[in-house]
Amino acid sequence: MIRFAWRQFRFQAFVVLGLLVAVAVVFLLTGPHIAHEFAELKGCKAKSDCNYLDNSIQNGDQRLYNFGTALSVVFPALLGIFWGAPLIARELESGTYRLAWSQGVTRSRWIVTKLAVVGFASMIAAGLMSWMLTWWASPIDTLNANRFSTQVYDTHYIAPIGYAAFAFAVGVAAGVLWRRTLPAMATMLVVYAAARVIFTENVRSHLLTPLKVSVKLSKAGAYGFEQTPHGLQFLTKVGSLPNALVFNPVVVGKHGATVTSQWLATHCANLIQHGGPVSRRTSVGFKGNGPAPKAFNECIAKISANFHQVLTYQPADRFWPFQWLEGGIFLAAGIALCALSYWWLRKRVV
Amino acid sequence: MSTALSATDLGKQYGRKWALSNCSLDIPEGRVVGLVGPNGAGKTTLLHLAVGLLSPSVGSITVLGQRPASSAEQLGQIGFVAQDTPVYAGLSIAAHLQMGAALNSTWDAQVAERRIYDLGLDPNQRAGRLSGGQRAQLALTLAIAKRPALLLLDEPVASLDPLARREFLATLMEVVSEHKVSVILSSHLVADLERVCDYLVVLAASRVQVNGEIDELLSTHHRLIGTPRDLENLPDTVQVIESSSTDRQTTATVRSADPIMDPAWSIESVTMEDLVLAYMGQAEEQRRDLVRSRGGAK
Repeated sequence: MIRFAWRQFRFQAFVVLGLLVAVAVVFLLTGPHIAHEFAELKGCKAKSDCNYLDNSIQNGDQRLYNFGTALSVVFPALLGIFWGAPLIARELESGTYRLAWSQGVTRSRWIVTKLAVVGFASMIAAGLMSWMLTWWASPIDTLNANRFSTQVYDTHYIAPIGYAAFAFAVGVAAGVLWRRTLPAMATMLVVYAAARVIFTENVRSHLLTPLKVSVKLSKAGAYGFEQTPHGLQFLTKVGSLPNALVFNPVVVGKHGATVTSQWLATHCANLIQHGGPVSRRTSVGFKGNGPAPKAFNECIAKISANFHQVLTYQPADRFWPFQWLEGGIFLAAGIALCALSYWWLRKRVV
Repeated sequence: MSTALSATDLGKQYGRKWALSNCSLDIPEGRVVGLVGPNGAGKTTLLHLAVGLLSPSVGSITVLGQRPASSAEQLGQIGFVAQDTPVYAGLSIAAHLQMGAALNSTWDAQVAERRIYDLGLDPNQRAGRLSGGQRAQLALTLAIAKRPALLLLDEPVASLDPLARREFLATLMEVVSEHKVSVILSSHLVADLERVCDYLVVLAASRVQVNGEIDELLSTHHRLIGTPRDLENLPDTVQVIESSSTDRQTTATVRSADPIMDPAWSIESVTMEDLVLAYMGQAEEQRRDLVRSRGGAK
């Protein structure tokens, strides 16, 4: 049965293999050059020494990096659409299940073998794609020091293997329920994309209880002010911690006080007297590049003296537990969907 | 003699509709059974139940003494040619034979290859490019080469042109005589079955109307022509299947084990077609009565 499952799957497998080989060739041709450039960049003592690298990195490597990560994002979905959805749906649609299920192999074994062969192939394909990208992009990732960003986290290492298992299973289940290939492909895409977005936005940051740290404002990142109808508002950008997942920056003072527009009116009168924050939009440029640097810096100093920023974050050393957890959750969901498909085919179909 | 197919109060329900109900059958081994009935009568449902593609809603069915699709061995004993003879359009004939070999422990590669050769088919041709007749022959080859004890065929010739139909049935007869296989063959055309079958099951309105050896059925069914009042004077042993009357004349198809001696009737023998049509007519009449009585109750 494994041989026949492979025989039916061969053509689709070769198409994806071709894609992987093409990606491998591109990465092999460009990888060493990028590694070299980034090593040089890292060795730069002053930024001005390395200006000649900027152009090359911004226009060439960064584009390829964006393309590679985008491909790695859509790759599991492609597997779900072209490997998962038609796997059973096409048999049901064209009526060949009547041929398949009257051979001398039980329906259970037929289903399990097909799911196993194509399911494992999906995980292997996604694993290869992720591994190639991870290898190729490692100099860029090291320099960016932002492993928890979705561009890295979602496309590198082992999470994509879990995504592929899930995407495959969603495709199979949609095919079993619809019994037609095209609606199954469309359903797969919608369900998979929704699951991924919801998980990334709402679940990932809470997989483990986040840590909190108070940092002085001067080290917290960048600030600015915004003129609103209710007065001046203080703005902070999310402070960065290397390779950590940082969210919800809160600026608090004694007894939980916050920087209100009244407080600013009282303590930063200078800033307002100087015409307030004037810039292209209504905000003062970050890092004190506003029109009144002196008043701006004085105000920031006053805020720093009275307030501090509380960062909520997942530390860098949780990267691997997170990858395993998220990959495992998607893999488990995929296995559950395969079990549902199995049950439905055994009990409900025809 | 053991049974090829045995059903007890078998029924299959889809939502509120019964595709097959109260089906009790005992079909002996070694027969070529014609399963005949109008479209939608439940023929496909019965065959799918027999091959295990469906499971019964009520009742039970055994095929060659075992529950259908209960094991790989049981599946290996059944050759099934589904309606419209599905094959994998993207796979070559050779790949289909490889599939048969990989999935059936009883596969006979010689039989399969010789049949493809005899049919004049190129093993490298993709199944999607075969004509309807060739595709049916490929499906039959796949079913035969697993050396089944029972061959189930669901309207295999329905969509074939007359020549392909004749060739297909000729092949089937060869196989039956060569391999001593039992066959159940469904069709809505009596003419297809007349030449090949020796056992008949008439299925209409989701029920088995009659079944038995064709010789026996033909010898116990008669067509009577007489006057309308003679119908009431028939003895109890005579079962009227269907009758139609004009003012002066009544024609009735009846079943009677004993010869009918009443001189009031002129008696003719029936053909298989007459027999099948009489039972289908009876089923249709009962269906109409049922609908009318429901309509009246409203």
